Parts: sequence; C-alpha cells; structure tokens
Amino acid sequence: MNTVVVVDDHPAVIAGVRAWCALADPPIEVVASGTNVGVAWLSPGDQAQVVILDLQLDMAGPAYGDLKRLVDAGRQVVIYSMRADRETVLASLDIGAFTYLTKAEGQDHLVAAVHAAATNTPYTPPMLSGAFGTDDRPNRPRLSPRETEVLLEWFHCESKEMVARQLNLTVRRVNACLERVRIKYANVGRTAPTKAALVARAIQDGLIRADEL
Amino acid sequence: MTGSAERGLLRQGLRYALVMRLAVMAAASLVSLFVEPAPRPGVAVAVVLAINAWNAVYATAMARRAARVRRWLVPVDVLVVCGACLTQVWTAAPDVGADGMSWVLVMAEITIVSYPWQIGTAALAAVTAAVVPAYLVGAVIARPDEWLVSAPFQLWLVMEAALSWGLYKFVRRAARAADRQVERGELLRRDAAIAASRRVDEHEYLAALHDTASATLLMVGAGVVPGPRRWLADQAARDLDVISEPSVASHREVDLMGRLREVAGLTPLRVRLRGPDALSVPAVTAATLCHGTREALTNVVRHSGVAEADITASLDGDTVVVEVADAGRGFDAEHLPRHGYGVTRSLVERMRRVGGRAEVVSAPGQGCRVRMECPRTTRQFAADDTEVIGTAFQTGLGWAVVVMNLVILFLLDLPKLLTNLDTYRAVWPQVLAWGGFLAITAWAALVLRRGRQLGRWRWVLVAVVFALSALATESIPPEHRLGAVHWSEGDAGWTVALLLLDARAVVFVGVLLAQYAMTFGHAALAGDSAVSFAGLVNATVIVLGYQLAVGLIAAVLRGLAASSAKVARAEEELRTAEAVAEQLHRDRMERYAGLADTTVPLLRGLASGALDPGDEGVRQRCAVEAAKMRRLFAEDTTAPDQLLHELRACIELAERNGISVSFAECGVRPEIPRVARRTLTEPAVAALATARGRVRLTVSGSDGSVTVSVVADCPPHLVPEPNTDGVRTSTLVDGDRVWVQATWQGGR
Repeated sequence: MNTVVVVDDHPAVIAGVRAWCALADPPIEVVASGTNVGVAWLSPGDQAQVVILDLQLDMAGPAYGDLKRLVDAGRQVVIYSMRADRETVLASLDIGAFTYLTKAEGQDHLVAAVHAAATNTPYTPPMLSGAFGTDDRPNRPRLSPRETEVLLEWFHCESKEMVARQLNLTVRRVNACLERVRIKYANVGRTAPTKAALVARAIQDGLIRADEL
Repeated sequence: MTGSAERGLLRQGLRYALVMRLAVMAAASLVSLFVEPAPRPGVAVAVVLAINAWNAVYATAMARRAARVRRWLVPVDVLVVCGACLTQVWTAAPDVGADGMSWVLVMAEITIVSYPWQIGTAALAAVTAAVVPAYLVGAVIARPDEWLVSAPFQLWLVMEAALSWGLYKFVRRAARAADRQVERGELLRRDAAIAASRRVDEHEYLAALHDTASATLLMVGAGVVPGPRRWLADQAARDLDVISEPSVASHREVDLMGRLREVAGLTPLRVRLRGPDALSVPAVTAATLCHGTREALTNVVRHSGVAEADITASLDGDTVVVEVADAGRGFDAEHLPRHGYGVTRSLVERMRRVGGRAEVVSAPGQGCRVRMECPRTTRQFAADDTEVIGTAFQTGLGWAVVVMNLVILFLLDLPKLLTNLDTYRAVWPQVLAWGGFLAITAWAALVLRRGRQLGRWRWVLVAVVFALSALATESIPPEHRLGAVHWSEGDAGWTVALLLLDARAVVFVGVLLAQYAMTFGHAALAGDSAVSFAGLVNATVIVLGYQLAVGLIAAVLRGLAASSAKVARAEEELRTAEAVAEQLHRDRMERYAGLADTTVPLLRGLASGALDPGDEGVRQRCAVEAAKMRRLFAEDTTAPDQLLHELRACIELAERNGISVSFAECGVRPEIPRVARRTLTEPAVAALATARGRVRLTVSGSDGSVTVSVVADCPPHLVPEPNTDGVRTSTLVDGDRVWVQATWQGGR
C-alpha cells in the first residue's frame, strides 16, 4: 500500500485528502499529517513514500527551503497549493518537486499523482501543463511545437480524449508527449536525486532516448 | 474670427472717441466764442454753431456704423474741418500764445486724435495729410507775420495723430491677445467638457441598459416568464425606446412630475405619487431620477411581495429629493453584496455621477425606502475670463501710455527745454524734473514688462511728480509760466496718468486735476503769466482732455473686460453644448448600431409577440444577450486586467445561475484591443450563459497570442464561432461536451 504524509496548515484540507486516500483504488495510507513540515521528518511521517506539501504554510512566502531539504533527502514531494502562478509552479519543479497541483485540481488529480509519485512515473496535471506550455524563461528545455501544443490543449480542456481528437492523435501519444516534457524539465536546472531518478527511469522504460536530452 | 474682447473694444472705442470729440470741440469753441472776441464775430458764431451741429450729425451717423453712410461721411467731415481751418482768419482770436493754441487748433487736434477709432491706417494718413496743411495755410492767412514761430508747434498735430494711432494699436493688440488666450482656454475646457460628458453619458447609457434591456433579457433567460405576457411585451417595447433614445445631456429643463407619473404608470404596482403639481429640473437630472425610480419600483415588484408603492418628490432648497417607499418584506441593507450590479451599483453610483446621492433604508419586515437626492443646477464648464481680458487690456494701455510719455518727453518737452535754457531762473530744476519724469516712466515700463502691479510705490512716485512739477514751475520766471517755456505744465500729467492707470476713475481724475490746480495756483499766485485765459482753456482742454480720456479708457476697459468675458462665456457655453451634443449623438448611434443585430431584434420580437419567452431557444438567446451586456457593464478601462475582469463578471452571473465554473489562466498576455477582446470572449460568454453543470474556462497567453477556451454542456448552435478581428475559433463536440477555443494572435 502506498503511504503519504500530509503537511497543510488547514485541517479541512487534511480531512479532504484523508477521505480521497481512503476511497482510492488501490487505497493510500496517510501515515501522518500536521500543520508543520516537521511531521514529514519525524516517525512515522519519515517513512511515508510521498509527501503532500502545502507550499504556503505561513505568511513568509512559498516554503522553498522546506521543499529543497525534503527533495535533497530523496523524498517524493507532491506540491498541493493555493498558488497557481507560473513562477511558483516552475520554481517548485526546478527545485525537484515531483509534481504540482493547485487546490482546485485536488479532487481530480491528487490520488493519481500520489500513485504516480510512488512508482516514479511522470504526472502532469493541467495547471502544471499550462505553466510548461507558456514557459518563456531563458533556461527552459527545448520543446517541439507538437509538445507545446499538447501541453496547452491539455491545460485548456482537461480531457485527454478531447485533446487527442482535437490534434488527431491517440491518447497514448498525448500521454507520451506529456511524459517526455516532464522528463525534459527534470533534466534542466538544479540537480536533485528525485529528478535524476525520474530521468533514469524514463530512459530505462524507453520513454526517451539519452541523446534526445 | 474676431473675439469678444476685440469686438467689444472696437464698439466702445468708437463710441468714446465720438463723445470725446463732441465734448472737447464744443467746450473749446464755445469758450472762445464767449471769452475771446473774434475778428468777425458774426461769421465766428455761424461757423461755431455749424461745426457743432455737423459734429452731432456726424457722431450719430457714425455710431450707427452703416458702411454705406460712412463712405461719404468721413470725406465730408474732412472737408468741413479743412474749411474751418482755412477760415480761422475770421473765427479765431489773433493774439494767441506762441504755440498758437486757438479753438481751431483744438478742433483739428481732436478730429485727428479720434480718427484711429473710426477709420483705417491708410485713411488716417490721408486725412492727416489733408487737415495739417489746411491748418497751416489757414494759420498763414490769419497771422502772416507770426506763422514761422508757431509752425513747429502746429506740426505737433502729426505727432498727435501718430500717438493716438499707437494707443489704438496697442489696446487692440491687447484685446486680440486676450481673445486668443481665452480661445486657448476654451479649447482645453471644451475637450475636457466633451470627455466628461461622454463619460457621464456612457455611464448613464449603461445604467439605463442595465435597468431595461438587460433586466428583461435576464428575466426571460432565467426562464421566469412561461409564455407570452402582455406586460413583458410592453416592457420590451419600452426597453427599445430607451436604448434608441437620444442622449439626455442637454441643459433643457423638463417637468419631473410628468416624467415620474409616466414611470409610475409602467409598473403593475399601484403607485401613489405625491409632490408639487410641476417641478422643473434639467433633463439630465430628470432622466437620472426617473431611471433610479424605475429601478427602485422594479425591486419592489421583484422582492417586496406587496403590490403598492409610494413616490414622493420634493424640492429641498436647491436639491430635488425623490423617495420610493414600500411596506413589503424588506431586507437587510447592511448585508447586500458589495460588488453586485444591483441596487447599490446602479443607484448609488448613478446619483453620485450627477453630484447627488442615494440611500437605501430597509430591514427585514420593515419595508424599504429608497431616497435619491440631486442638485437642481447642472455643472457649468465655461470659466470666467474677466481677469485674463482685464490684464491684457491693462498691459496694452500701459505700454501705449509709456510710449506716448517717452515721445512727448523727448520730442516735445526736451526741445522746449533746450531752446529756453537762457529763460529759466535756474536750469538744474528743469533738468531734474525732466530726468525724474523719464526715470519714473522707465520704472513703470519695467514693472509692466515683468507683469507685476505698480503697488504702493506709485503714491510715493506721484508725490515725487508733484514735487518735481512745483520745482520746475518755481524756476520759471512768472511772465513765462503756462507758456511754451513751461513744458512741464501739462505734460507732468502724463507721468501721473501712467502711475494711476489702474486706479479707480475717481482717484485718477482727482489726482490729475489736483496736479493741474497746483500748477495753475502756483502761476496765479505770481500774478503774471504767458497766456490769455482762452488760450489756457484751449491748451488745457486738449492736453487734460487727452489725459482724462486715457483714464477713462482704462476704466472703460475694466468694465469691458467683464462684459467681454461674459459674452465669451455665453458663446463658449453654446459652442461647448453643441460640440458635446454632437459627440454624444455620434456615440449613441455607434452604441445602437452595436446592439442592432443582436439585442434589438430580440426585444422587437418580444414586444410584438413574434418570439415566445417560454420557448427554450428564445430563452437561451436572451440569456446569451444578457450575459453579453454583463460583459459590457464590466468594461472598465481602469481595471488592471480587462479580459479577466470581464470574464469574471460573466462567471459571477453563471455561478448565480447554479453553474460550477472551474477557471484557470496561465502565461503572459498582451493588451488586447476592445473590439478583439469582445470577439475573443464571445463563445465563452455564450457558453457560460447557456451551460448546465460544470464549465471549464481557461485563458492562456504565449508568444503574443491569447486563447480563451471553454468546455461546457451547452447547445452547440448557441455558441458562436467568430473568425473576425484577428480571432480564430475552433469547436469540438464530444457527446454533451462542447469545447470552443478562440485565439487572438494580434500581439505578435
């Protein structure tokens, strides 16, 4: 059974996550939860496979420092935040977060994201997809026009079937596109063990070739 | 175009020139007739009477300013004056002083001096060239042995013509400058007025749309009306009238009570209207109060649960007060949504725009009372330009007097002083007086140039002038006083005139006369003097008359500034009102054209009964148009992100109808022009208005292009696919879900 620790300063959010995890198939066990990132470092939270982290724990701005320490310790972190701005999303991914979910996307994507994190398979929810697709920073990875197209269409309609129909692709191709983009992002910027693991896994699975990076 | 200040100046200038000419000539000629025996008394009487009679005829005809009469009037006048000059051998006393100051000379001078206000520069030169030789010839005939001595003084006539012309030019130029300044101010003010009126009218129009067409369409769109209803048809017809009616931003007054009665008649309520029989208010105020009343009554119909309401109108000082009250179930006024588009926004903001206020008093179970207050007078855009025109006149006249004084000091007084150096008891007081007057004139010129006021220093300097004048008189032997040797006698008055130019007329005249009285008294005390009484009168009349005229002109110009400013203001108001009305009319036409193929046919169909409000298709079309209007109301140039601001207004409306909207945006978006923005949001607005259940609305921007995407359960045929204004649209239908994406690429 996949295990998670939930760090969020709002009890309603924790309750909601617990409910989704209990209903998940296969089920996910919430081993610990708390309003402070300490629960992820202390037993039993330190044993959880995935950390669900609220980025905005106090008034001091995004908790990039906490995220960095968790990532450097080899933890899989799913960011679950109110913030939806591109800069925060991309900065979290660059530090090494596994994926980024806005609170509005929780119901549809949180459980799937946790399963993906546990198996180290890329997971790109719509908001993150939009951030990738509109990224204009100089150090961004090089994406093909098709990849950008898929990213934006997925952001807009939230249905892979519709994206596939719109672009005359198969759903498999759409998924492959999204995964390749995620790997490309894991391969740029700051080095982190989680990012390296993601890339290694993708090459191993034949999702991407080493020379494409 | 000649401005109001210049026009006023020319009219007043002509009038005063004619009056002065009439008065000075009458005084000089009649005094001479009675005091100095003329060589041929009979002829003299006849000539003097004829001249004065002609003068009166001339002044009246000239004042009427008929071009046809003027053409022969001036030549005849010149002939008459020349005739009188040539016949002075019979009419003027022979023993005048060295400067030959007879009444005939006074006549010639005043004629020439007053001409610049009556004829053009070339004509003035021609007239001077005729009158001066005529006078000289007449003088030679009258006094063949003396004429060489007095000729230089008589040639001063030419200089007087030039000085008077200079005065005229200076003041006229000042008037023109004032007009230009006023005009520039007017242009700025007019632009501001048009902009302000456009804003007010735009708000007013949107508010009217909100209360009428938007409310009706929203009601039909929400499915409140099950089928054709008489009242709905009437409402739609009235809405059509409102959106096509001309703008109300006029200064016309209308009867508020009549309008309120009309409004009251348009509801299913029993309305009691109380107030005076008639209450006259500006059209804008009436329209605002009526719209407010209509909205208040609509709220009574919708929410109060009772079928009657009271309207009370009254006038409290200069404030018009209208109250709409009901005894219905009421509501908690404290807990209304703050940013809603309902009562608060349209009523309170609308009243604030016309400078009034609105207040909603209600509590659960206590009914509701809406009180609207509005000032009865509307704003005036034109400003008072009295100050501008007054300052320009004062400066122009100031420069004219400075130049005149310098010319007199250098070309008249200095020669007199230098040729009589041997005659004075002592020379230094004369030189001191002359230099003093010159220095004071220079100082006044400096103050003028800096655009300042003379201030209190003027009184010190007036005292200095008096002292210098007395000193100069004292150093002249008594037998030469008041004669040609006594240059400072009348001319000290010019310096006084310069110093007191902006003083009140009474002060000006008083001080000037005091200066003369002092000099005459000084001379009289010594007993002896150089001139006869008549000569003195003639000399004084012409110089003092001129000086007084300058003072008079100053006073007249001050009055003229006020009246010119008033005329300018009236003209400006008229022109501004016209420009505003024209612009507003254009705006209205444009806006109506914008609604012509969407809202208008819908309302027309509802009004005529051709469209059934219970029909699903009609209902949905109404919902879409109502949503578009919501977007229009949300158009606000001050919002930091207009696209999101407008979309949020539509999301708010959809959520109120039970739709769950998931909204997301990402990327950087360029500013989108209004027309393109409307096209871009068109599919989303229509989808939001007709969707059921869940809607995903997203906005993305990258590489200068902007995409608005909507995924919803809605009838695909109701979602437009615009491909204009640089916007491309694509639609994908997947079962019940419709996905429409509109992309604008204009920012690349």
